[in-house]
Amino acid sequence: MAAESEPLIGIDLGTTNSLVATVQDGQPIIIKNRTGQPLTPSVVAVSKNGKRLVGGIAKRQAITNPQETVSAAKRLIGRKFSSHPVQDALRALTYQVVCGQHDDVRVRLAGRDLAVPEVSAMILAELKADAEAHFGRPVTQAVITVPAYFNDGQRQATKDAGRIAGLEVLRIINEPTAAALAYGFGRTVNGKIAVLDLGGGTFDVSVLEINNGIFDVVATGGDTFLGGEDWDHRIIEWMVFGFAKEHGIDLRKDRMALQRLKDAAEKAKVELSSVKETQLHLPFICTPPGGGAALHLQSTLTREKLEELTADLGERLVGITSEVLGEAKVRPSDLKEVILVGGMSRMPRIVEQVRQYFRREPCKGVHAEEVVALGAAIQAHALVGQESELLLLDVTPQSMGVAIAGGYVRRLIPRNTTVPTSATEVFATSKDFQRTVKIMVLQGEHELAHHNELLGEFLLTGLREAPRGQVEIEVTFDINAEGIVSVSARDRDTGLRQSIIVTASSGLTEDELRRIMDEQRDWLVAARNTEELKSKRVELDILARDLVDALSRVRLMPGAGGLSPDVVARAEAALDQARQARGVEDVGALTRACEALAQSLPVLRSAGPRGTPGR
Amino acid sequence: MNALRAKALVEAGLLLRLSGDMAGAEKLFARALELDPGNARARRLLGRDGTLEPSASGGGDTGWNLASPDQEVDWGAYAGPSTPGPVEAPVRESVSLPEGTGMRGDALDLIAEAHRTQEFGLPDTFTPAGGLPEGSEVESLLRGAEDLLSLDDHSGAVELLRRAQSLAPENPRVEALRDRSERILVSMLEARLGDLNRKPRVRLQPDDIIWLNLDHRAGFVLAQIDGEVSFDDLFALSGMSRLDTARILAQLLDEGIIAPGE
Repeated sequence: MAAESEPLIGIDLGTTNSLVATVQDGQPIIIKNRTGQPLTPSVVAVSKNGKRLVGGIAKRQAITNPQETVSAAKRLIGRKFSSHPVQDALRALTYQVVCGQHDDVRVRLAGRDLAVPEVSAMILAELKADAEAHFGRPVTQAVITVPAYFNDGQRQATKDAGRIAGLEVLRIINEPTAAALAYGFGRTVNGKIAVLDLGGGTFDVSVLEINNGIFDVVATGGDTFLGGEDWDHRIIEWMVFGFAKEHGIDLRKDRMALQRLKDAAEKAKVELSSVKETQLHLPFICTPPGGGAALHLQSTLTREKLEELTADLGERLVGITSEVLGEAKVRPSDLKEVILVGGMSRMPRIVEQVRQYFRREPCKGVHAEEVVALGAAIQAHALVGQESELLLLDVTPQSMGVAIAGGYVRRLIPRNTTVPTSATEVFATSKDFQRTVKIMVLQGEHELAHHNELLGEFLLTGLREAPRGQVEIEVTFDINAEGIVSVSARDRDTGLRQSIIVTASSGLTEDELRRIMDEQRDWLVAARNTEELKSKRVELDILARDLVDALSRVRLMPGAGGLSPDVVARAEAALDQARQARGVEDVGALTRACEALAQSLPVLRSAGPRGTPGR
Repeated sequence: MNALRAKALVEAGLLLRLSGDMAGAEKLFARALELDPGNARARRLLGRDGTLEPSASGGGDTGWNLASPDQEVDWGAYAGPSTPGPVEAPVRESVSLPEGTGMRGDALDLIAEAHRTQEFGLPDTFTPAGGLPEGSEVESLLRGAEDLLSLDDHSGAVELLRRAQSLAPENPRVEALRDRSERILVSMLEARLGDLNRKPRVRLQPDDIIWLNLDHRAGFVLAQIDGEVSFDDLFALSGMSRLDTARILAQLLDEGIIAPGE
């Protein structure tokens, strides 16, 4: 079967780090990136020499090149520029963000305004390339995870990012659902579970109800500005304070020093999850203002000290968890399992706090940051392999309804409804002699209309003049298998009908999307060409050096080592050709020049010392 | 005319010496003395009775103005090897081509040649700084830079041109010369590093590193070297100009602090 041979991947597209996984020989495994790391930082940058950087390398220059480094794009994806979350996020961003034509968010990078899905696509393309390096063949199909609270627009934007990266997104699934799948809970658990995901930049709490393999998101919550980076910042502050006390210098003022502090803090935090103390060793961290020898930062950080520095952060985690459970009216004792997800959940203190709160041992895999990607890979495998018992159904992530009198919402389609689906409800006019009704299609869970997302609106006019409540309007929601929502309103008296089709939008039109995909293709071709040019030039340099070496030896031999003058002339001509080829951007010319050098080299090397060609 | 030019060269040489480039300064003093043998200042700066002081490095001229490993060089002002007087027939460390091969030097020349003739369009001769008042400091610096370039000392020339540009930021001649010199210098330093796709690694233990004489910028670059990132990546993540990064990497390599890796 063709589907069996097609490599499938699951992608955890995170705010801080991303991972890619697959199912191999029946086992879900993480695919390491080309630098051998399981995690790829979700960071994109353009360096000062115009090179596009993605992942670890982009992260390592983030502080020294802040304006041209984009991180945490996930906070912005699929959101409107004017929305509160975006306006909140703007305060913490070091790069420039502008408003697009459709109130969408655009990121300014190297003088270009990029749609957020374009930025995310760069990360996805990197993961795709890692997977292709793993399989040794093209990869085109993926399941991508998103937070449970993502609305249709954010999900669509994530899908668009996948398309730009050259991936067919088989399904978008919820991160907590993926984590539960990785633990096999679709088969083994019936009941409520909590998933606590403490990533690099966000903390998500989800309560799921599993019922015979059906995953229902009961509650979601968290803090989109609480994550591992907060722990890093505490370590940085501690190092900065200690150094200032000793030398009277504020290291935060020097970007290079700050970048090194950040790297060291993250490393120390990770190490302290497995050891009791770690050395912080940063030689030549700064040069004193008046000149003189560069100073070193050397210190020892203990786990105890780290716990002391971050005690309030741990308490915040428990507070948020308790809040989410309280809102969902779920008691810790109601839960069948608690899953800890994210690298931060390796920290012993956090595990301890969770254990104390839930009064049970949380499930945490050896690699808690990998479970979401593993779950996505399992789902991708199940989707194509038709393993129906594991097949997650496509559901509406949030409820849909219409605005009603008083500024409230009437829900027609509750969240987690399996699509395709349809629902009809009859409404009546709210004013006497009302001739027009406005149908506002909303998505969200809040009772008040303005707290929900407006997907679209339309007017139904020409209603019969009558006292309020006497004219009946039938509103129908239809969601097809592709997730396209059509809403219609019909005057039951006159039969007059109006409708609207709502498609989730990422903020990009289809034309824009096509243009971006074309640009991405062109960029990939150009990047490949540049790589080829680079490697050919290196090859040419090596061959040229060898040929020059051989040529000088031949010249020193009596009778030119028995070689005919035209052999030497040909070698000189090959060097001449190489010199010209090196100056132009032409892989073909470089290849031909390399061939010419490679042809001359063995002939010159065959020259013998006594005037006769050697062996 | 020669006396005036020699005076300007001595001024430029003094600036280079101040910035730590002793070898470059020495070259300029020697050139000044050549042009005006009666220039007492140049004679004094060079040593007794015009006898040139012996080279600090003691090594032969590579013709590439790259510091030899045993040379003590300030990180902020990377210097070329000092040579006893003007170089007429340089003794190259690298493989040289004998007369008659049709080639000017060695394989590294081949690389630099491409940059000079095709990419950068370096003119055969340098003309005096146009549009600048005779005797001005910028003019002195430009002349010094031109002389150093004619002696293939791009490192010293860049130092002078940077200073000239700070004095005359809008001068297109200064800008063009500086840009070109920097590019050539970068390509020479890159040739020193070899294949930029190689991933260098640190050869010393952390306890040994703290005894080195590095500044914080070199410390930063050194901290990024972990055997996982290539030279090319280091250019991208250093946050410094390509020239400054190449200088530091070449120095770390020369000092044996890092190995080029695979």
